Amino acid sequence: MDNLVILFVIVPLGSAFLIPIIGKFIPHFQKALSLLALLFLCTLILNYLFTGNSQCIIYKVAGWEAVENVPIGIYLVLDGLSAFLLLIINSIGFLVVFYSFSYMRKYTAENYFYTLLCLMIAGMNGVVLTGDLFNLYVFLEIAVIASYALVAFGIEKDELEASFKYQVLGGIASLLILLGISLLYWQTKTLNMADISHVISTQADSKTTLFIQIILITGFGIKGAMIPFHAWLPDAHSSAPSPISSMLSGVLIKAIGIYAIIRLFYNMFAITYEIALIITVIGTLSMVIGGLLAIGQWDLKRLLAYSSISQMGYVVIGIGMGMLILISNGDKMVASMAVAGGLFHLINHAVFKGLLFLNAGAIEYATGTRDLKQMGGLAKDMPVTSSTSMSASMAISGIPPFNGFFSKLLIIIAAIKGQYYLLAALAVLVSIITLAYFLKFQRYAFFNKTKYTGSALVKEVPFTMAFSMIVMGVLCLVLSLLIFPGIREIILSPAVEVLMETTEYSSKIIGL
Amino acid sequence: MDEAGYIILLPIVVGVILFIFPDKVKIVKGLITLIISLLTSFFAIRLYQTESTIVDLSIFSGLIAKDSLLYESISGIGTYCQLNIDPLSQLITLGISFFAVIISIYSITNITKEKKLYHFFPFFLITLGCAIGAVLSDNLILFLIFWGILGFTLYKLIKGYDEESSAAAKKTLILIGASDSVMIIGIALIGMIADTYNMSELNISTSTGIGIMAFLTLLVGSFTKAGAFPFHTWIPDYTKKAPAPSSAYLPASLDKLLGIYLLARLCTDIFTLNQWLSLIILTLGVTTIIIAVLLALIQHDYKRLLGFHAVSQVGYMVVGFGLGTPLGIAAGLFHMLNHALYKSGLFLSAGSVYQQTGKSDLDELGGLSKSMPLTFIAALVFALSISGIPPLNGFASKWMIYQGIIDFGKQPGIANQLWIIWLALAVIGSALTLASFIKFITGIFMGRRNPELESVKEVNILMLIPKIILALICISFGAFATGYFVPEIFFPVVGKFEFVGVWQSSFISLLVVLSVILGLLIYLSGNIKNFRTADSFVGGEKWEEKAAFPVTGFYDTIRNAKVLKTIYDKAEKGWFDIYLLTKHLVLSSNKVLSKVHTGVLTDYAIWIFAGLSIMLIIYLSV
Repeated sequence: MDNLVILFVIVPLGSAFLIPIIGKFIPHFQKALSLLALLFLCTLILNYLFTGNSQCIIYKVAGWEAVENVPIGIYLVLDGLSAFLLLIINSIGFLVVFYSFSYMRKYTAENYFYTLLCLMIAGMNGVVLTGDLFNLYVFLEIAVIASYALVAFGIEKDELEASFKYQVLGGIASLLILLGISLLYWQTKTLNMADISHVISTQADSKTTLFIQIILITGFGIKGAMIPFHAWLPDAHSSAPSPISSMLSGVLIKAIGIYAIIRLFYNMFAITYEIALIITVIGTLSMVIGGLLAIGQWDLKRLLAYSSISQMGYVVIGIGMGMLILISNGDKMVASMAVAGGLFHLINHAVFKGLLFLNAGAIEYATGTRDLKQMGGLAKDMPVTSSTSMSASMAISGIPPFNGFFSKLLIIIAAIKGQYYLLAALAVLVSIITLAYFLKFQRYAFFNKTKYTGSALVKEVPFTMAFSMIVMGVLCLVLSLLIFPGIREIILSPAVEVLMETTEYSSKIIGL
Repeated sequence: MDEAGYIILLPIVVGVILFIFPDKVKIVKGLITLIISLLTSFFAIRLYQTESTIVDLSIFSGLIAKDSLLYESISGIGTYCQLNIDPLSQLITLGISFFAVIISIYSITNITKEKKLYHFFPFFLITLGCAIGAVLSDNLILFLIFWGILGFTLYKLIKGYDEESSAAAKKTLILIGASDSVMIIGIALIGMIADTYNMSELNISTSTGIGIMAFLTLLVGSFTKAGAFPFHTWIPDYTKKAPAPSSAYLPASLDKLLGIYLLARLCTDIFTLNQWLSLIILTLGVTTIIIAVLLALIQHDYKRLLGFHAVSQVGYMVVGFGLGTPLGIAAGLFHMLNHALYKSGLFLSAGSVYQQTGKSDLDELGGLSKSMPLTFIAALVFALSISGIPPLNGFASKWMIYQGIIDFGKQPGIANQLWIIWLALAVIGSALTLASFIKFITGIFMGRRNPELESVKEVNILMLIPKIILALICISFGAFATGYFVPEIFFPVVGKFEFVGVWQSSFISLLVVLSVILGLLIYLSGNIKNFRTADSFVGGEKWEEKAAFPVTGFYDTIRNAKVLKTIYDKAEKGWFDIYLLTKHLVLSSNKVLSKVHTGVLTDYAIWIFAGLSIMLIIYLSV
């Protein structure tokens, strides 16, 4: 396993390279290769989770060993948290590729689509694996540049406008992140995250560090679409082809936005009260305002996009609360419960929001519209779409026994136990608002009288699309099992443990 | 204690399996449902006879091998899966399974005729299992899971084929789901105070702010499920559009049993109430009675009318629990059972009428007593019962509640001193209930028959049996209330108590029956051939001779009375509907926020730098 870590980057990157070249001559090559690549990575990460006992694997690229405990090469680090994110990225990626087989038929240039998708996944895998800050930036750029192109993939007016906005605001984010990284390099003379953590802890200039932290929060906050840095998301996520929306909302904002925030502010910087408070406040703002924005939308995909902002707020609140409790020397059990709730909600959100975008794609595929006011009565004609989207809607609204209920339960209980009553109340309030707008979606799309008067009869979508939706619909139920101790310890707990060690991460990596 | 496990798992598992069958074989699915309901009842009776205990996961040891991964992963949550078998949960379990049997008999033929209602029977069974699970579970988290699933099945048991019904479905689940979310806070607060989630280990005082908050949040859950003011507004909308078996199953019987069960647990086991909370509960109780019955008076749609009564009656149960005395609690529980009996009966009767006529407006019906005699007699029994006419069961439990209030007034306390108000409002509510049920019975069964309805026939036997059973139980519960049923059923639950007033139900029933027989004999003896004829006296109204009169017309006087008119107008605009009020609030805040999102790129970039600057200013200037 130790040497296989690099494959998470190499395989999708290689596929992205091969697809446009060989795909030109062999039909269906692009689909087969990207599917196989992602299937392989899924088995690899599942194999690690179920047999690896969550030990931390450090892969030194090109075999550069540390000199006097100062790392000089790039490290790839596979630990519980990275594995958790890799599982999400590659499994959702796999299902999305499968879904795209039928969905992307109406677009030309399928080769480029799969190339960009593989490139994006390579970037995200790299971001969650790397232990080197500048390397993280490089992978992040690979992922987002691929996503800029994918958002514009339809090359209609709306898509291009959305992609343009996304590029400008994403560009600001990248600049801020790069600025933060260079300032850190200037301050610590190293780029290895573990080493930076070590150096910062010895030389204490908290003011500069705080400045850098705020710059980095803003940068990654834009990538993760936290309010008030969210404005690009509703356009970008609703304009992209649906499988890509599903990737962007379900995975990308987590892998390059939330993951980076979690990793840097738990494991690299020592937790400070100011940063913990900023993160919690941003999370709360996102949760509340995102929810309030979503409820008025009539464009289905915009509604889903705003709801992503709101749901990411839950994740960030869980994370931020964990930091607040740790820094105020609260009960460590409660802190780990808050973090577990946040991460649990992260994987849940990947599944149900991914599924909801696929549902939106299926509806668009069958009826040609995204406007809720023009749909109606689809439950009868599209049973698979209707029942899977019901499962996802109930999950995201936190109705038991679906997975979203349990993650929200953990977050709210942790908030109450940590005595953040206001946060608990807001989380409940937004959960109700979420329920309201997802029932609105259900009502206007699947109930009511049929309004659709297009020329063709509405039919259920083809098999590959239906298959992906069914798998994810079932996952919405199955992931509830993560609450059981025996199963939690395989997937969720290792990730939580990594965060609970905070800056001991550094000594684990560089061996001090 | 194997029953406790099977009784929960069996319906759920079979329900999930039934999803696989296509809806074309609805009859088969209905029969399977009936068999499973009967089995569940059998287990419930066995369970009723056992001693009260607390059981944990070992009841599943027969199903899962001890060394398997599944067992290991479940065993870690042992305390979360504790079940509590005590007289209260045994009683409610028995009630739930009984209503499942009754309504599944009715559904076999009724639901097969409903088009566009998918998966009724699977959801029916899942509801059954989860309702019993909620009642039996001792752990609050497990309870919440079952409780939450019930909201979802409620949503799936109404068909959203048009705008109005889909709006009703949406409103229902939003209110129910919202109350479930609020309950999470209460449960988390309890977990924080007491460090355990097991109801049997809890006894929290409501003297601290946190204790009161925990109580009130859980009370929201109970009130929404049972349908008490101010969270009742989903019930009339739901019953208006849902198929009759769904209305009879959930809002009329199961949701009442569950909501009141939770109230009972809250008031007796989990919390000790202070007098201010009693005052709040009593106020909400009588408000529920009066508001809902006033709205019921002016309804034209009989299913909606029944919906408002399903709310109004909850007020009596809430009052019973607000009293907090054993007599009051027993009265509340007795009224809960009675209400479930006659209200599900009324919904089933209404469903029969609707199925045979296709009309849901009282103005278009009339004179069906000849075409549907058995339905008429059953409906009459239910209507008299809900109006509190002796010797039927509705009277027996209301009488206990009045007794409880009078008894309550003898003790010191703020709520106690106001006893006369509670009593007066409860009695007025009962009178108004009678008034609106005269409208119901007259509008559907009496008067002249609408010519369109000449060909209406009685419903088939499968739809009659449930109503007849329910009517017989209503009569016997009323007739033998004091002598047999109350001591047998409720003494184990709340402990022994003394009746305050004197009421020998069997003796009075005998008198009533005798007087009826006497009257019949006089009538049949044939002496009354000549009777006085005069103009109909219609309460001082101006009388216009018409072929068929709409019975609802009489109630317009109330509708247009001075003070009431404004209230009614406001109520119809949704001023008292917590759902609509919140909806307006949320949507207007949404409009403000949406306006800010101009779509102009520079604005968005400015937000980013504004956010960045705020963070920098706050922290770097400190």
